[in-house]
Amino acid sequence: MEAEATLGLWGVPLAIFAGAIRVSTPFLFVSLGECLTEKSGRVNLGLEGTLVMGAMSAYGVSYLTGSPWLGVLAAGVIGTGFGALHGYACSKPRVNDIAFGIALMLLGVGLAFFLGKPLIQPSAPRLGAIPFGFFSDHAQLRSALDVNVLFVAGVVLAPGLAYALKNTRFGLILRTVGESAEAARAMGYDVNRIRLYATMAGGFLAGVGGSFLSLYYPGSWNEGLSSGQGLMAVALVIFARWSPQRCLYASLLFGGAGALGPALQSVGITSGYYLFNAAPYVLTLAIMIVSSSATRASEEMPAELTTVR
Amino acid sequence: MTDPAASLVSAASGQALALRRVTAERMTKSFGGNVVLDDASLTLEPGTVHALLGENGAGKSTLVKCIMGFYQADSGRLVVDGVPVAVKSPRDAQRLGIGMVYQHFTLVENMTVAENLLIARSELPRLIDWKKEIAKLRELMRTMPFQLDPEKPVRKLAAGEKQKLEILKQLYLGNRVMILDEPTSVLTPDEADEVLGLLRGMTREGRLSVLMITHKFREVLGFADHVTILRRGKLVASAPTAELTPEKMAELMVGSEVPAASSTREEREPGSVVLEVDQLQADDDIGLPVLCGVTFSVRAGEIAGVAGVSGNGQDELVEVLAGQREATSGVVSVRNRAYRGTRREIHQAGVRLLPEAPLRNACVAVMSLAENIGFRDFDRPPFTFARFGLRASAFKKRAEQAIMTYQIRAPAPGAPISQLSGGNVQRAVLARELHGNVAVLIAANPCFGLDFAAVAEIRSRILDARNAGAAVLLISADLEEIFALSDRILVMSGGKMVFETPAATANVREIGRYMAGHE
Amino acid sequence: MQGANAPVIVPRPVVRRPALDLSVWGPRAETALIPLGALGASLLLFGVFVALAGANPLDVYFEMYRGAFGTWFSFQNTLQRASPLMLTALCTALPARAGLIVIGGEGALVMGGLGAAAVGVALSPFGAFTVLASMLLAGGLVGASWIGLVGLLKVRRGVNETISSLLLTYIGIALLNHFVEGPLRDPESLNKPSTRSIGDDNMLGTLPGLDVHWGLVFGLVACLLAYGLMYKTVFGFAASMTGGNARAARLSGISVPAVVLVTCALGGVAAGVAGAVEVLAVHGRANASLVAGYGYTGILVAFLARHNGLAVIPVALFMGGLSASGGLLQRVFGLPDATVAVLQGILFVVLLFSETFYGRIRWAKPEAA
Repeated sequence: MEAEATLGLWGVPLAIFAGAIRVSTPFLFVSLGECLTEKSGRVNLGLEGTLVMGAMSAYGVSYLTGSPWLGVLAAGVIGTGFGALHGYACSKPRVNDIAFGIALMLLGVGLAFFLGKPLIQPSAPRLGAIPFGFFSDHAQLRSALDVNVLFVAGVVLAPGLAYALKNTRFGLILRTVGESAEAARAMGYDVNRIRLYATMAGGFLAGVGGSFLSLYYPGSWNEGLSSGQGLMAVALVIFARWSPQRCLYASLLFGGAGALGPALQSVGITSGYYLFNAAPYVLTLAIMIVSSSATRASEEMPAELTTVR
Repeated sequence: MTDPAASLVSAASGQALALRRVTAERMTKSFGGNVVLDDASLTLEPGTVHALLGENGAGKSTLVKCIMGFYQADSGRLVVDGVPVAVKSPRDAQRLGIGMVYQHFTLVENMTVAENLLIARSELPRLIDWKKEIAKLRELMRTMPFQLDPEKPVRKLAAGEKQKLEILKQLYLGNRVMILDEPTSVLTPDEADEVLGLLRGMTREGRLSVLMITHKFREVLGFADHVTILRRGKLVASAPTAELTPEKMAELMVGSEVPAASSTREEREPGSVVLEVDQLQADDDIGLPVLCGVTFSVRAGEIAGVAGVSGNGQDELVEVLAGQREATSGVVSVRNRAYRGTRREIHQAGVRLLPEAPLRNACVAVMSLAENIGFRDFDRPPFTFARFGLRASAFKKRAEQAIMTYQIRAPAPGAPISQLSGGNVQRAVLARELHGNVAVLIAANPCFGLDFAAVAEIRSRILDARNAGAAVLLISADLEEIFALSDRILVMSGGKMVFETPAATANVREIGRYMAGHE
Repeated sequence: MQGANAPVIVPRPVVRRPALDLSVWGPRAETALIPLGALGASLLLFGVFVALAGANPLDVYFEMYRGAFGTWFSFQNTLQRASPLMLTALCTALPARAGLIVIGGEGALVMGGLGAAAVGVALSPFGAFTVLASMLLAGGLVGASWIGLVGLLKVRRGVNETISSLLLTYIGIALLNHFVEGPLRDPESLNKPSTRSIGDDNMLGTLPGLDVHWGLVFGLVACLLAYGLMYKTVFGFAASMTGGNARAARLSGISVPAVVLVTCALGGVAAGVAGAVEVLAVHGRANASLVAGYGYTGILVAFLARHNGLAVIPVALFMGGLSASGGLLQRVFGLPDATVAVLQGILFVVLLFSETFYGRIRWAKPEAA
């Protein structure tokens, strides 16, 4: 490819590719977190709030300490806290995990906006990228192949989680709890505690996903940072049929849909910009319509999730 | 003196296994002043199959739960090889090598055979070496008289295979004394014979001692070496099987108090066909066909009893008739009119239902007793005014009537129905369903889990409905109940009605063969 | 026939109970005491929170009271904010009676407002009454189909209503942006893209003697109707059965899909009318100002009111007062405008947690049977 040649229309798929990687990263982390939580037989709809709290705290910590990685860690810790709150509350009888998730979503968003007020102006150090495009001297290609570190971590994490669910003691116990709380109890496991751990781990990942929003792309803190990624990730887990590996592919698909609007805009197609921006939501809804069924439950669905509803 | 439990553990972990004699000595257990187990004893000899026989509520489950450490007996003790031992939890029992297989599977459907076995272990390595573990399992399997693929998901196993896996799990855990609670209740007679034969074979090889709870004489006579019979919590007999006949066992089990319905069956010719089901098909929860063309009819003034091994489509048939499940094809009609279970049809046709687990199937826990009793008629006067308005006083009045007539013990008509005991919930449902004109009555395991008095009462009410001319469809997993109530017996197997016979000339063996799916 | 074979029935003497029967009244008292306890606990937690943020909680509460109910002006502001909340709360409360957790009131409000504005602009020459009637109708219809779609997807495809309704909210907001910046844009609206105005003469006036628009009356009437429908009619009874135990409802011949669809559609009507009223009485046109969070606060109002239409009224007033006081908190204490959102979040979380205390207060010994 000639360095001087313009990419022309090839810019669109390239922009979508680069955009997909960027946009998919928060989806990936939140969906992996939710996947873990749901594998234990509980739903956490509050990850949207966790995501926003994560974004805010990561930005704040990165700004105060000058280290974006400390920011990522802080986001994870905050997310773990939110997960613990959800896990604890839902272990109590009569507390509805869906409704409590909605409440946590509103609380998380409110808290983040409150605490993040002073963070809108200042600029904090951001996360770096790995220049996979080093071989080319085409600027557009190089920038497209600048892949953020968190995405790479997520790509490693997805099969890692799948492996852990299958091959570790904790993974096996977690799945047992999600498939049959009764059987797990008969074996002497503390179902609520296992679910608490799973929800905390899920919160950690969602928090880290949030840190990506404020520290890499879009890369600043403001109140419009997240628009439902946390919630879409929950739908994405259904689509991925509770497999971490498939969460990765589904996230990329969603990322691609999310990158569609900006990519088209970048080559001058601006009519229907807002409609293209709605593409991920429409895609999510379409996928839910296709992958749900009124009369039968998915075979892969953790059985405890069906008894909850 | 060494700790007896510890010495047993070391014995169990050693390869040269000596089976131990397990004795429950003079155990008594009461719940809230209600003596459920009254000075009962039982000795399980090493290498034998011991049957524990008794009616519902005779104390069988309580006795084994005391042995297993689920309950602590009020008095009495457990003795292993002459040494008294304290069993405070199922974990203690497991340490003594005593394990239990429950009536319902405790397997995790979405996990493989190997995963199910490993997860049951008390200590697991942090990281599981599946190659090694599966090789070990295959090794263990070689010593077994049956084979299961360790990597197969449990949901793909047949009921009999699942039961074998439950047994394998106990052996895998090192348990040599195995207690089984009605191990064949979800199996066909063939599968039951196979599983029991396996167990018996392993006891003969000196690998196991088996204590099984059952109420099937056939299994006792065919497979047990020794029988212990409980009645009303008391030990009434303990003898080698050879010394007992079915007649003798029945007499010992039921005593003089045969739970006969207090109503008698009036001699009457069945009337015209009321309920007709033609080529009904339906799918189960994950979309597999479970009703494969069910066809039968019920006449006015007769009880048609549907016998069958659980899981052959009975639950789904009731759900379709109750409007809780969509049929994929076929027709249900009442008095020659198509019936889909809308409120208008229910009212016009006079269809009533007594499902099992009424709180789950037929009541709304958060609504009051009065509201629950009003479910059938809430949209008609006197419950309504001006067509759409509700009249609270009418609900209260109907509920007070029902409380009197059916002796429902409830704090007040306005109290949530979830505050009532199981028996009283069932009475409330009876009161609701038997009110007014009943042309069709569908009863599914209506007496499940109830005590003698409640059973007798419900059976009387069903007979009364039949005597009054209702067409009654009785679906029950309890063959004895089918024989006690039915005018005509149908057998359901593999999602179809496979056999039909008048109750008067019915033959248990023949029915058993059809239940098993063999012609 | 009843004769010899009927079981012998010995009438059990009915025990006369005291007039105040705790086994009946206890559970009812719980439904008032527990939310009030949750409210107290939330105020306590929020007090700690603002104290950490450097404000005196007591001062904050006093200012909140002043900003919400303290003056005639602030009270009217509260009433004004409460009216859309009553309507959006019904969007969650009505489907909740049938067992669905719908959180898409914001989207139904936005779409209702957009639909109403489109109709209102088109019919603006025909006079105020035509505009009023057609806009309410349009808002209600659009809202009904918007949330009705959620119900339809639930009964036909088993799609989770919580997620689908929120996704539809995002889609609705995108559609609003698309239309006000594109096909329906008033070329004269420069820095805030909007539709054309429905005409100042066509706007909904204020109540006599008050500076509060007629939307308040719509909200109150809707709440009363919803209460009557759900607690005093055959349909409400069927909805309670469906929400309490769908299996039992089916067994009683109730068409669960019909109940779900109707409650969803009615909830959508309420939120859609809220959107129409916002256009009719406040903005005069549809633009991004419709996305004001009433839909989300309505969820909280519905849960606090335990999905009871009558209870929605005071709770909406309370929440309306909270948001009315937000500005004052900002001015007096320099607290961010999200302060109210934090209090709402705390309230919601504590309230749902308090569910666990129902039935655990011992009013009377359960009877052994």
